[in-house]
Amino acid sequence: MSTNVPTQTGAIAEAPQRGLGRRGRKPISDRAKAERKLGWMLCAPAVVVMIAVTAYPIGYSFYLSLLRADLRFPDQREFIGLDNYVTVLTSSLWWSDFAHTMIIMVISVSIELVLGMLLALIMHRALFGRGLVRTVSLIPYGIVTVVAAYAFLLAFSTPSGGFIPHWLGIEHDLVDQGHPVTSFLVVILAEVWKTTPFMALLLLAGLALVPDELLEAARVDGATAWQRFWRITVPLMKPAILVALLFRTLDAFRIFDSAYIIGQNGTNPKIETVSILGYNQLLNRLNLGLGSAVSVLIFICVMIIALIFIKGLGTSRPGEG
Amino acid sequence: MRRWSTDRILGWAAADFVVLVFALFPVLWIVMLSFKSPATVTDGSFIPNEWSTENYSSIFNGNSPFLDALRNSFGIAAIATVIAVVLASMAAYAIARLNFPGKAIMLGAALMIAMFPPISIVGPLYNMWRNLGLYDTWPGLIIPYLTFALPLAIYTLTAFFREIPWELEQAAQVDGATPFQAFRKIIVPLAAPGVATTAILVFIFCWNDFVFAVSLTSTSAAQTVPAALSQFTGVSQFTAPYGSIAAAAVIVTIPIIILVLFFQRRIVAGLTAGAVKG
Amino acid sequence: MGRRGIVLMGLAVLAMALLAGCGGSSGGQGAHLNFWAYNEPGGTFAGAAKRCTQQSGGRYTIEFHALGNDPDTQRQQLVRRLAAKDSSIDIMSMDVIWTAEFAEAGWIKPWPQAAADKVKQGTLKGPLDTATYQGKLYAAPANSNTQLLWYRKDLVKGEAPKTWDDLIATAEKMPKAGRIEIQGAQYEGITVWFNSLIQSAGGQILDGPDKVSLAPQPTEAALGVMAKLANSKAADPSLSSQKEDQNRLAFETGQAAFQVNYPFIYPSAKENAPDLFKNLGWAPYPAVKNPADAGRKAPIGGFNWGVGGYTKHPQEAFDAATCMRDEENQKEFALKGGLPPTLAALYDNKEFVKAYPFAPLIRKELQDAAVRPQTPLYSDVSLAIYKTISPPASIDPKSTAAKLRDRVKNALESKGLL
Repeated sequence: MSTNVPTQTGAIAEAPQRGLGRRGRKPISDRAKAERKLGWMLCAPAVVVMIAVTAYPIGYSFYLSLLRADLRFPDQREFIGLDNYVTVLTSSLWWSDFAHTMIIMVISVSIELVLGMLLALIMHRALFGRGLVRTVSLIPYGIVTVVAAYAFLLAFSTPSGGFIPHWLGIEHDLVDQGHPVTSFLVVILAEVWKTTPFMALLLLAGLALVPDELLEAARVDGATAWQRFWRITVPLMKPAILVALLFRTLDAFRIFDSAYIIGQNGTNPKIETVSILGYNQLLNRLNLGLGSAVSVLIFICVMIIALIFIKGLGTSRPGEG
Repeated sequence: MRRWSTDRILGWAAADFVVLVFALFPVLWIVMLSFKSPATVTDGSFIPNEWSTENYSSIFNGNSPFLDALRNSFGIAAIATVIAVVLASMAAYAIARLNFPGKAIMLGAALMIAMFPPISIVGPLYNMWRNLGLYDTWPGLIIPYLTFALPLAIYTLTAFFREIPWELEQAAQVDGATPFQAFRKIIVPLAAPGVATTAILVFIFCWNDFVFAVSLTSTSAAQTVPAALSQFTGVSQFTAPYGSIAAAAVIVTIPIIILVLFFQRRIVAGLTAGAVKG
Repeated sequence: MGRRGIVLMGLAVLAMALLAGCGGSSGGQGAHLNFWAYNEPGGTFAGAAKRCTQQSGGRYTIEFHALGNDPDTQRQQLVRRLAAKDSSIDIMSMDVIWTAEFAEAGWIKPWPQAAADKVKQGTLKGPLDTATYQGKLYAAPANSNTQLLWYRKDLVKGEAPKTWDDLIATAEKMPKAGRIEIQGAQYEGITVWFNSLIQSAGGQILDGPDKVSLAPQPTEAALGVMAKLANSKAADPSLSSQKEDQNRLAFETGQAAFQVNYPFIYPSAKENAPDLFKNLGWAPYPAVKNPADAGRKAPIGGFNWGVGGYTKHPQEAFDAATCMRDEENQKEFALKGGLPPTLAALYDNKEFVKAYPFAPLIRKELQDAAVRPQTPLYSDVSLAIYKTISPPASIDPKSTAAKLRDRVKNALESKGLL
């Protein structure tokens, strides 16, 4: 799943104050009761769907992870407690894939933050061409991740006739398992290309919150552009930056599409990520027990990352969260 | 108007130019690749040495899995979009306009779902679908798309609905309009842009998905383009499929380019809707 | 774009979806059989489906559906659907190594006595063994396969090398095109290579269906050959991502004097590289030791037609599968697709041998080929092997052998991540 999650800074620390606040004051009048009932009814269908297709499967996944459940050997299904977790956590494969995932996540998100900030500044401040830049940078955002991954794979892979090795006069394949560094580079590049615009848009929303008068006043006081950026813009944008980082980090940890395609349908072990690992156990080996243990662990990692960020977000905005 | 110095003009022009190249170069490369003749696909040049539309005719050939995949992609994404937008509009209306306990929890839960790693539910879904007969069917993909599209849609719509001056509806009713007239004449036109924007975002999201598509489908019955692309075989084993992959990639990118060109402002607004009001 | 435009756009998308929903379905009399097979480049599998449909006189129609190009993809595509009890898989092409797994899981039907007898008649023993599990016939051998050492007679003087050491030394000394094309990517192909090497060195991977063998001496000898080739000048720079087809391509474009590959390269070279084809020579699969004291063990591969475990038309499916491997079809597979037949009669057919000149050598290799381990866990075992031994350039015989034993043991217990 790619970067299509909307980011609503406000929503994270949501306070239901809007709406018909004036009327809401009355202590449970008939009208308020009716309103409450209508609200629940309107939300019910969406809630039911979301619970049915996420909460239930996650629970089921946890249950499966405690079983030996290999679809090729249906008779051998049995409860084995935490054995699958022991297997996963003691396997060097899990840890190397975890390391791959972290490498891709940390490097690509860092690059995206810097480039995204630059892009946001261009979108916000450019003297001309702002509309054009905004439109054009939406293209990487909208493009199918698999397509973007293919564009990079086919540009860098020697056997498929990539123009980059051809230009550089390189004869070996840059994206095969014999060349892990360049393989990583291509995945990171594809990720950065695809998601920097998204990062930039979120940061742009944050930039809009920085009052021009404040910057102007600082300028009059003799602050350099660099000082204004670091002392005024960045601190004011901190919540927006954290939200953008949160979404991108979570998204990057779940990376599947580009690593799978650039890894030639998940066969390059050097850029195998935890999601690909889970996928291989679940859908290629049909070992649902072991695969579910991997899935649950990925889920836990994502929750931990989210908690860390939300905590950071809370402290960045005293009075809220 | 301030006078701009030549330096500043050149600087910004350079910056604009870099962004253009950065954003468009990979797309240009895929387009170039798609026009290479099968014999020159792997020759390593950027601009085709031999221009040809053979890759396009090969994917639109009756035997190619591409047409089926395109049909599946459109159908599944459109149906998921319509359902998600309808359900989300109801929920977002309630959240934006009504006061009821549990709406903060609901928003929090939706946000959590948006953060879910899809791979975590793919396994159980596969196991459930294979028992229910939903594996490799349209509903088998539409249902998981809904779950991830709903949080997105609810958030975006809530942000838009909060901007609507709902008092106008009451004003119209005071002026003698029926509730339905007031809703249709006043509210619908105000809400439509937000709904359309949400629909676009949800559509792009479904159109893009790969994890569910590659896990929960396997034949032309329901396989969408991204999944089909990863299994392209080329015309025969002897011709590398890269040319057809590129051609198919160009075709699936066209709807996105159209959406982006026509609705640039709305997409930006949709993506950043809530963030501004932090 | 105004509001109206947006609404129109939305309607257009909806309309498209509705249109898309009305997919056509095909009707017809007789049983409709879906035949899932990889798209044999000569088009002969689809051709067999067509021919047998005609010959059935309306009793059944066979619709050909293409699977992916490499066996790993094909298996993934089939297995998920079979585990979902998909009844639309009537007949499928199965790599010879899947028999045990598919049979054990109930994904293919055992052949009834009468149909089995018909298949067994005149079929070579090697291929027949690959289709048999626990004494029962589970598939009809459609084609067999083995690798030969193909070389360019214009570049290689005298006899072709007989051992791997010879081969590497010869290639390294060549002034140009001194490369050996072989399958080094991380996939089934490299397991095939390793299996042949270890058997040639006198060892084996498994001892029975559920015990690891991998004795140190032959294992290290086999790994030694792989490491030596990978680190020599004779290796293709992209060895670690090469599969059969990349080998064929590199050979056809004149980059290599040698390739170890299946005979499908023969019709391909004839069509794509006619000049090179004139000088195309073939020799037996190289041995690890001196050929005087150890057997050459060429890989055995090929495809069998299996009948889906959940098909609604088993009787018609057995008949159709039998038809799609009859003498006429197998001849087509061999001549157009380069796939060696499983019927003994064809190897004695003078006309056939004339068009398929290496047939005698193939028959000889098939008599004592390196069969891959027969276990329901084969795919896990192979996965464990190829994940461990690739890229071949980073093999260290001693430590890789130890790692290999460990991983294969895990795989046999269907434990461990792969």
